[in-house]
Amino acid sequence: MGSITLKQVTKSFDDNHVIRPLDLEIEEGEFVVFVGPSGCGKSTLLRIIAGLEDVTSGEISIDGADATHMPPGKRGLAMVFQSYALYPHMTVRNNIAFPLKRAKLEKNIIEQKVNQISNVLNLTDYLDRLPGQLSGGQRQRVAIGRAIVREPSAFLFDEPLSNLDASLRVNMRLEISQLHKDLKTTMIYVTHDQVEAMTMADKIVVLNAGKIEQIGSPLDLYDNPINKFVAGFIGSPKMNFITMTMDTNPEVDSIGVRPEHFNISDTEGTWKGTVGVAECLGSETYLYVQIPDIGQLTIRTDGNCPFKYGDTIFLSVDSENVYYFAKNGTCIPLD
Amino acid sequence: MATNNSKTLARMMVTPAVILLLIWMLIPLGMTIYFSFLDYNLFGDGENKFIGLLNYEFFLTDPAFVDSFFNTLILMTGVLFITLVGGTGLAILLDQAIYGRNIVRIMVLAPFFVMPTVSALVWKNMFMNPVNGIFAYISTTFGFEPIDFFTHIPLTSIIIIVSWQWLPFASLILLTAIQSLDREQLEAAELDGAGKFCRFRFMVLPHLSRAMTAVVLIETIFLLSIFAEIFVTTQGGPGNASTNITYLIYTQSLLEYDVGMGSAGGLIAVVLANIVAVFLMRMIGKNIEG
Repeated sequence: MGSITLKQVTKSFDDNHVIRPLDLEIEEGEFVVFVGPSGCGKSTLLRIIAGLEDVTSGEISIDGADATHMPPGKRGLAMVFQSYALYPHMTVRNNIAFPLKRAKLEKNIIEQKVNQISNVLNLTDYLDRLPGQLSGGQRQRVAIGRAIVREPSAFLFDEPLSNLDASLRVNMRLEISQLHKDLKTTMIYVTHDQVEAMTMADKIVVLNAGKIEQIGSPLDLYDNPINKFVAGFIGSPKMNFITMTMDTNPEVDSIGVRPEHFNISDTEGTWKGTVGVAECLGSETYLYVQIPDIGQLTIRTDGNCPFKYGDTIFLSVDSENVYYFAKNGTCIPLD
Repeated sequence: MATNNSKTLARMMVTPAVILLLIWMLIPLGMTIYFSFLDYNLFGDGENKFIGLLNYEFFLTDPAFVDSFFNTLILMTGVLFITLVGGTGLAILLDQAIYGRNIVRIMVLAPFFVMPTVSALVWKNMFMNPVNGIFAYISTTFGFEPIDFFTHIPLTSIIIIVSWQWLPFASLILLTAIQSLDREQLEAAELDGAGKFCRFRFMVLPHLSRAMTAVVLIETIFLLSIFAEIFVTTQGGPGNASTNITYLIYTQSLLEYDVGMGSAGGLIAVVLANIVAVFLMRMIGKNIEG
């Protein structure tokens, strides 16, 4: 249970093509993350899968059955919204029980399930409170509880962590990952945060302007980006792009180097530059280096970095860590 | 008000307005209380003797009082019921994305701007008139006897007129409430397997409860003192069939020139209004606090 297939799905609002013809296969039990800049259509795609938006053309099938025109309640999917969308006038208990009551389960079974879920999610003490009396993280848990309790064939998450503060976000990220390991249910997760995508996903779908740029495992996308967009989007801090031509391959228009792949020296190197801002994070340091004629490069180095504002440094890079891009953005494999 | 200094200043600035307001309210109230203890008839001998609680006794034991008391309650609850149910329905319809929705909204609001006397006259002469009215025309077209609204169902007719006036108010307040409902909640409910009726019952209705409370409280204040519609249409008749307390006080004090009795009736009306208000607050006021 929980495989979803999209065939040539499109979505347009009048002349605005939000989703261009798109094929996607989501296997049972996978944790799939849709990632992309805002407005790339990732939330729309999720809502199409949920049934909250109609497709303009194309087909959706869930577990092999055609679900293109199936109403949302019949698809067996559960969704966690960005705003949590808890029912404000119902207690936590009733919020979690709501989908079960709609499914017309017996009272004692409902109670048993609600208790079980609230145990798992540490909500037992809050069952009789209203959502308005809970903190952001607790609300998030209730929303997840309401989704889990139905035992859906797949979970849909629409940027569920973006309303939480940084430390809570890391915790909830772990909890959701743990949940996936425990439940082994298909999860589809939408985010614009590539860190969330990298840390949680089995499979990342990078979207841009309504079409899929690349699908792959996190490390696959990190190591072998198919084009400049994916290379720039995956990895933090962002990959540095340097415009240059090569004599050996006339197609090459620019090269890309990840911040962690630079070798720093104070005597010799390929590029000579001046250190601008140095951000010391303790475990690592980000140097923003100004190179004449090229611009600013971001360098990531270890915590006890001796360089500071205004120092002159030399940078070089090992050839296996360089990505080459053609004029149209595609990545050119050299070797 | 942060400091003592600014507090004192603020009190001084506010004092004239408060004093003016007190005079404005207390003098009429005091005079009404004073008159209610007098045998004060404008056609009397001018002695205006003190007669104690006799005015109150006469007013409360008047058979018209009991009638008018229940008429007031029926009028109020009838209009409240129609405006709440109809207002919710209209609000849901107006919330749909239809072509020209802004114009429709303004037109729905129109009856609220028509003054009570005018709307009562329009209803009396153009709709409910047993000879020329449109309802009579419809009835005779289908071969039925036209209903003589103000003779046979006077109170119901007035409830219809007043409901027509207050429906826009209820619709508007409930429409703004519906628009503030989080769409994601409805979508979540849809995914949870809730059908249209279920979503209305469990999402929309609880969301509207606060706005409904406001509608009930505000309308009650005005509905207790309906006068113009009765004055223009039935004159409280036939008999006392459509007399409410406001109209009864009018007949006592102005038609019979009995100032003392009118004052006593007015004070009784004030007490009754307060009882209704306390009752309402107890019943639904907690909705507003939350």
